Parts: sequence; C-alpha cells; structure tokens
Amino acid sequence: MTSSTPALKTVQDEAQERRSNRLALAALYVTLTIIVILYSLPGLGVIISSFKTTQEISQGGLWSAPAQINFDNYDEAWNNGNVRTYVVNSFLVTIPATLLSILVGILSGYVFSKLPFRGSNALFIFVVAGMFFPPQIVLIPLFRLFNSVGLYDTLWPLIIVHTAFGLPICTLLMRNFFSAIPAALRDAAVVDGANEGQVLLRVMLPISLPALAVLGTLQFTWIWNDFLWPLIFTQSDSMRTVMVGLVTLKGQYSVAWGVQGAMAVIASIPTLVIFIFFQRYFIQGMTLGAVKG
Amino acid sequence: MNMRRFALLILLVVALTGLPVLAQDAPEGDTFVTVMHYFTGELGREGLNTIFGNFQEASGITVFDNPIGHEDFKTTILVMAAGGDLPDMFSYWAGARTQFVVDSGRLAPIDEWWDANGLSDVVPASLAAGATVYNGARYLVPFGYHYAGLFYNPTVMADAGITEFPTDWAGFLAMCETLKAAGVAPFALGSMNRWPAQFWFDYLLLRTAGPEYRAQLMAGEASYTDPEVVRAMELWKELVDAGYFVADANAYDWTDAADQVANGEAAMTLMGTWITGYWNGNGLVPVEDYDFFPFPSIDEGVSQAVVGPVDGFVVSAEADHMQGAQDLLLYLLTDTDAQTTWAQGQGALSPNVNVDPSIYTPVMQKAADVVAAAPTFAFNYDLATTPPMAEGGLNMFAQFMNDPSGYVSYLEQTEAVAVEVFGK
Amino acid sequence: MARSRWFWRIAFLAIPLLLYLVIVVGPLLYSFFFSLTDWNGFSFDFNFVGLENFSKIFVDPLFGNAIKNTIIWMAAALTLPTLGGLALALALNSRMRGARIYKSLFYLPICLSLAVVGQIWIWIYQPRWGLLNITLDSLGLVDVSRAWLASPETALIAVIVAWAWQQTGLAMVIFLAGLTSVPTELLEAAQIDGANQRQSLLRVVIPLLQPASVVVIALAVINSLKSFDIVYIMTGGGPFHSSDTLAMMMYNESFKKYFMGYGSAISVVLFLIAVVLIAFYFRQVRRLENLYD
Repeated sequence: MTSSTPALKTVQDEAQERRSNRLALAALYVTLTIIVILYSLPGLGVIISSFKTTQEISQGGLWSAPAQINFDNYDEAWNNGNVRTYVVNSFLVTIPATLLSILVGILSGYVFSKLPFRGSNALFIFVVAGMFFPPQIVLIPLFRLFNSVGLYDTLWPLIIVHTAFGLPICTLLMRNFFSAIPAALRDAAVVDGANEGQVLLRVMLPISLPALAVLGTLQFTWIWNDFLWPLIFTQSDSMRTVMVGLVTLKGQYSVAWGVQGAMAVIASIPTLVIFIFFQRYFIQGMTLGAVKG
Repeated sequence: MNMRRFALLILLVVALTGLPVLAQDAPEGDTFVTVMHYFTGELGREGLNTIFGNFQEASGITVFDNPIGHEDFKTTILVMAAGGDLPDMFSYWAGARTQFVVDSGRLAPIDEWWDANGLSDVVPASLAAGATVYNGARYLVPFGYHYAGLFYNPTVMADAGITEFPTDWAGFLAMCETLKAAGVAPFALGSMNRWPAQFWFDYLLLRTAGPEYRAQLMAGEASYTDPEVVRAMELWKELVDAGYFVADANAYDWTDAADQVANGEAAMTLMGTWITGYWNGNGLVPVEDYDFFPFPSIDEGVSQAVVGPVDGFVVSAEADHMQGAQDLLLYLLTDTDAQTTWAQGQGALSPNVNVDPSIYTPVMQKAADVVAAAPTFAFNYDLATTPPMAEGGLNMFAQFMNDPSGYVSYLEQTEAVAVEVFGK
Repeated sequence: MARSRWFWRIAFLAIPLLLYLVIVVGPLLYSFFFSLTDWNGFSFDFNFVGLENFSKIFVDPLFGNAIKNTIIWMAAALTLPTLGGLALALALNSRMRGARIYKSLFYLPICLSLAVVGQIWIWIYQPRWGLLNITLDSLGLVDVSRAWLASPETALIAVIVAWAWQQTGLAMVIFLAGLTSVPTELLEAAQIDGANQRQSLLRVVIPLLQPASVVVIALAVINSLKSFDIVYIMTGGGPFHSSDTLAMMMYNESFKKYFMGYGSAISVVLFLIAVVLIAFYFRQVRRLENLYD
C-alpha cells in the first residue's frame, strides 16, 4: 500500500513510493511463485505418474520421485492400441465442431444483438437455457436419433451434438460481443448499401477476431476433453477419440496408471498449445464485450 | 486476413477434414459380429485381442469389438438397449443382472444351439444350472469365473507362527488374535468402490443362515431386519470392533488392500481370484508370495458354499449377425487355447471341463479344487440380488465399514429399499 | 427494409434453431415423457404412472440430500474459484515480467480432462501416501489428516476443492479480460484524485469488473447444476450419498438402479430449477446493462 491522503505529493513521498512499490512487486513475485508451485502440484502428479510403472506406484505411492525416468509408458501409450487413430479422430471432431458451433453462434448472436424482433429476447433466453442442464438427460433419445438415421458409430453425431450444445454459450458470447460494437458502424455500412450478410461479413467479423479466438479456445478445450458423447455414439476402435481411449484404460480389475498418466499428458498438449497460441487474443477478446453480461 | 477469405477458409477446412473420413461402412452379412465387453484392464484386453485375432483367422468372421471400462459399460449398454440397438453379443455378469435383461425381453435364448453342440458336457452342471439358465431357458455362455477366498501373505503368517489355517470360527478368531498380537492387522479391505466389502457379508450370512435363506433374502422373500441378517452383521461388527481390519477401509481401493497384504502390513484380504492376476502382474510369485484358504465354517451343519462371479457372454434378441455370434460364442467357450489364454491372463477359472488344470498356477489350481468340492456356488451380493437392491445393500456395507455401531439402523434403511424394490 | 430484415433474420436463425430443436429440445421433451412412466430402460414396454415419480421426489430423503449438496456446491462455486480467480487476475494484471508464464500455469488445469483431474486428486487425498496427509503430518497436524474422500463429512468438500482447482484458471482469464477493459486513464484519474490503491480497487476496478463477474457467476451456477463428471470419477456420489449432487443422483437412479422414469422426473425438476435461475440471471444482467450502457 502506498501513502494515502495528501492530494499533493512531495518529491520525498514519490521516492518512498517507488521504493515501496519495488518492495511490493518483489513480495508479489514471491507470493505468486509460491502459489503457482502449490497450484502446479496436481499437474506435476500427472507427469510423475507418467514416468512410473504401475508396480512402482503400487509399492511406493505416487508422490515419491520415480526411480528412473523411463519413457516406457509413453512408448506404450503411443504405440499400443490405436492412439494415433484416436488423436486423428479427436482432431476430426474437435476442429469442425469448434468452427461450426462458433459459426451458428455468430449467426444467431448477430440476430439477437443487431436485428432484434418482438419476442427475440424470450427466444434468446430459450436458447441460452440449453447450457443449464446436464447432458446425461438426453443420452437415450439422442442415441435413438442417430441410430435410426444410420450415423451411429461414425464421427458425425459428435460433431452435430457438440455444435448444437455449443450453440447456447456461443450465442451468448457472440450476442454480447456484437452488442458492444457501436450501432453506428452497422448503420454506416447499411447506408452504403450493404445487406445484413455483408455487414456481418465485412464489418462485424473483422473486429470480432478476438472474440472468435476466445470462443475457439474454450470450445476446442471443452470438445477435446469430452468423453461422454464419443463413448456413447461410437463403438469401433477406429472411431474412438483420445479421451475415450483414456477412460477405457480403467479396467475391471486393474488400471494402468502410468500409461494413463502418459496418455493424459499427450492428450492435453493440443489444448495447451491452443491456449498459448491464442492467449493474446483471449485476453483482448474478453475485453471487447464478451464479458458484457 | 480478409474476412471473406477467412470465412471461406473455415468452410474449406470443415469440408476437407469432415467429409471423407468420418464414416466407415460396417461390413454386412454373416462374416461379421459386433461384441461389446468390459474387459479393458491391461491383461484382459491383451488376452481378448489375441483370442479374437485367432478366431478371425480360423473362421473368417470379422470381430468388431468395443471394450468399455466396467462402470461406463453399464451406462453404455443401457443406453444402447433403451435406444433399441444392442450389439450382437456382449459380456455380462451371470446372476441377477442377466436376469434383469432377460426379464426385459432383450436376450435371445440359446437352448437349441447349446444342446446341438453338447455344451452340457463342457460346462460343469453346478455352474451351468446357476449361471446359464434364466426363467427355464438358457441365455448365458460362461467365459470365466472367479472364487473369493482369504488371500494371505505367507511370510507374514509364518512370522506370526501360523502354519495351519483354521476351518472353524474359534480357530479363525484365535488366528486373528495371534496376528494382532504380532503387530499385524489381520484383514485389509479396500471398499472405496463398495463392492469389495460384500464378500464379508456374503460369507458371514452363508456360513450362518445357509444358502437357502440367503437366496430368499436376495429374491426379496426375507427381510434385512431378520435375526439371521442381524447375526451376520453382529459377527462382522465383532471383527471390526476387535481392530482386525486396517483402518479407513472406505478410503482404499481393492488394489490398495492387495498392496497392503503384499507389503506385509496386513495378513490377508477377502477377495476374488482376480487378485492373483494383479499380484502376478506386480511380480509376486504364487505360493511363495501369496496363497489363500477358504472362509472357515461358523455354524456346524451349514453347507460350505463358495462365493464368486461368473463372467459370460449373452446374445441380443435382435442380433443382426446371429451366425457370427454363435460361432464366436462356441469358440470362446470350447477352444481350449482361448480358455487357457483367458484364464492365465485374467487370473480366472475356466468353465470348460476340458481345460487341463496344469495351466493354472498352484494357487489357482487349489481354488478350482475348492470350487469343485463345494456343494453350492453362490454369486456375490451385487450379482445375486436385483440391481436397484444391490445399490442399497452396497451402500449399507460402506456405511457399516465407516461406523459399524449403527448397523441396526442401516439394516432398517436397507429393508426400506427392499420394500420399495420388491414391492413387498 | 422490414421485409429484408426478416429475410436475414430467418436466414441467420434457421440453421441454428433447427439444430437446437432437433438435437437439444426434442430429446429433452422425449426424456420428460419418460418421467410419467415406470420404464426400466431395458424393456420395450412400460406403464404410465401419472405423476407418481414426482410425488416420490418430495418424500425421497435422497432427493433432499442431493438438493442440499447442490446448494453447497453452488455456494462454494460462487466463492472459491471466483475469489481465487479475481485475486490472481488482479495480481497478474500489473505489467510484471513473466506474467504470461504465470497465466499459462494457472490456466493449465483447464487443459486436463476431468477424468484426469479426478484421478490426480484421488491421489492427493489418499490417506497413506497422499500429498495432503503427508503435508499435514509433517506439519504436526496428525489430528487433522484423515481419509478425506472416505469420510461423509469431508467427501463433498474434497471433490469441490478439486473442481475449484480446475475452474479458478477460467475465472482468472475472464477477470483478466475484464480488467484489461478498465481504462488506464480512469485508474490514473483516480490516482490523481488521491485515491489510494485500495480505494481505487474498491471504487473503480470492482464495479467495472461487474460484467466479467456476471459471466464468471453464470458459469459457476451452470457448472454446479451440471456437476457430475468429477463426482462420478472421485466418489460416485458416496460415501453413502454424502457427495450426491442432483445430476449425480439422476444418473444413479437412471443408470445404476434402472429407475429410468424416476431419473427422468429428477431431470425435469433439475431443468425447472435451471429455468428459474436463468430467468433471475437475465433480470440481473439487464439491470446491469441499464446501469452501464
């Protein structure tokens, strides 16, 4: 805390202030470093486990250092079974589903924000309400639906479901984002003779890039990490995603902890890369209106 | 980037990544069978891959298998059943769980096929009667079974001076006292997932009230507040109160309990034969590092039933590839190589009488002998009673291990569940 | 003009709404239908039992217990990750060097799937060699250490803490975005006016963070209603229902006890609660928008 009440500061005050600022900064660093270390411990646990054999874990517990760094678990996770297929499948689902859910979010968000009509608010609430219930409620009807149209055991149901279930959050964020863009921008384009499609494409989207990056990061992470839908909608090994591969390592009578750890590390790399890559956009994007209610 | 180009790029990426590879045509006809199973552990999966591979080679029928971990399996199979499309065949637990699906009319009876292939000569009659027949018809093909016994650490026992294992209750209690005096907890129990505790209830009830009474209780024809059940719980409580169990049972998984026995902290654990698969995987040597003895008798004159689960395969009533399913079932049960691979990998006992007992480790061989000599093979609790009831009972066991003193009220709660489930 | 607006509204909303109706709303109604039956999930036939399932809800002690736990979860979700995220965001918002690395480390848990997070925390709470008890014991707090997930008194809180660990990073990122939107001029103006840091925090920053808080709070409420995955993995709702949430109970009734009708009835109630909350949420948001627009 710096010195407080006086409205006019003396030179001496300022020097003191700078010194205490530097002190405060050092304290901040120390505190944050301690917190970040504590905070990273669970993640560290995943990494430790990935270097240990199941036997080592069963004898000495997880939290001791591994006797030696061996990459057997990674070798096993990567070469055993179809992990490479799983990873490809995860991308095949996550990329289109992320893009499509954002696309439908853009379309409906734009209408709710810039082309409101009588009852559009109620419709908006109706759409956003979709976020609030646990997806287990609709497992059975959806299975029936996809099975009857012959899409069971393909990746299509996953893309479709993630797009539809992404609609509420994408609509909410895009609507709020568009609402923050001054109406004058749109009006000017309309005066110039642009139609709504052109306004959206030429005026709105270019300044929405940050918001899109935010949504992209969130949707990518959520879809990538989901295992419920692929578990239910696919059955052959060639249609499995990484997260299903991960949870099916849990056996009836035994669990390959080490391999699971290695697979968890492998599986979380893409989402981390996405975050680091989009981080700049992420922070900016939230600024511009995504956070507005 | 120009926005129109950006949008186009998005569409292009969607089109390119999505279209060609998303769907894969499932082969049709008799050369194909879909199987779902819950054998996903390291050993189980490997074994089944080998077995399915060999079958494919021998028969030309493609096996389309879908392994899903135990708990997720239960969900998935229910969603598929509810959605109207079960796989051609799937692994299932013999007993009340299979009964439930049979009662719902979702399984195909296999009597004709069973008789045509003379399978009654392959599966021991006692096992076949209990595990394969439901409502008077055959539905399940046994694939492997397990037996629950008191698995112990021989070194710990020897150190405490125990060389002979008790067959009666007094001897059993004396042994516990000796172990406790030697500074070792007699029993490890890992009931985090509830089911490992059930074997205690099963054996205590079977050894006092007998198999017939237990069958009545499981079927909803007796009450959880009966003196028979109360007595079993009291015996259990005495063991807990005497400090014979490692503390905090509910905090551990059964593998933790297995580790506690292996590292000498506890002397034994009441567990199924799959524990041998786990221990072998961790480098323990049968007989030298672990062995077992059967649960002792309590009341004289009560028949010495054994407890365990039977894993089997069932055929869906609407199977699209009946021929493929039947061929695979026959192979799984009758091919001795397949049975050997399975029994050795999983630490399971084979339901096929033609399997040479010499494939077993000495410990498993002993288990096979105990089962063969037993008058009754009883399913463990959560397979013996209907699923909603099992939920209530398993909860009671966990509650009991947390605080045994409230056992009377736990039994009352469980009886309330029974009243609802069985519509008494 | 008006006609062309309607053209664009329909063009933009058609696909999103169609998708939403077919994939989300339809299956939801379909599920609700089963709440009037005694269906067990396996059999083809079932009986209509009217409102029997709903009358059972009101006398089922397990339901009251699940409601209580869900409220606890919600209260914790509104405080733990929210305050933690806010504190981290305030600390990391300064122009300190290396802030990006810290941010990434705090964000890292979100990249892990809940299946992995659950397993890691099981290892932390493990009574013997778990990190928590080892630490407590070495601090001489032997009396405090216990079997966290096995005690009915602590299981729920233990699961919530694991969940909060993952969610804090998300709250932090959203608050960070909100903070970037606090114009520096405003802060400087406040400084010149002689406001000290604490005052500027309270009077300037916090009110401007309100839009961000709305998003964080909404996510907290949504996620507490949906809290399932991590409970499923860590305790399955146990020991003996002490960590049952509404979503977990719905799952257990439907998929473990095969009371599909009763499970559906619970999901109807869950959905009604969600609708009430969302209506309340939007009223608050609109009030805020009126304040700041």
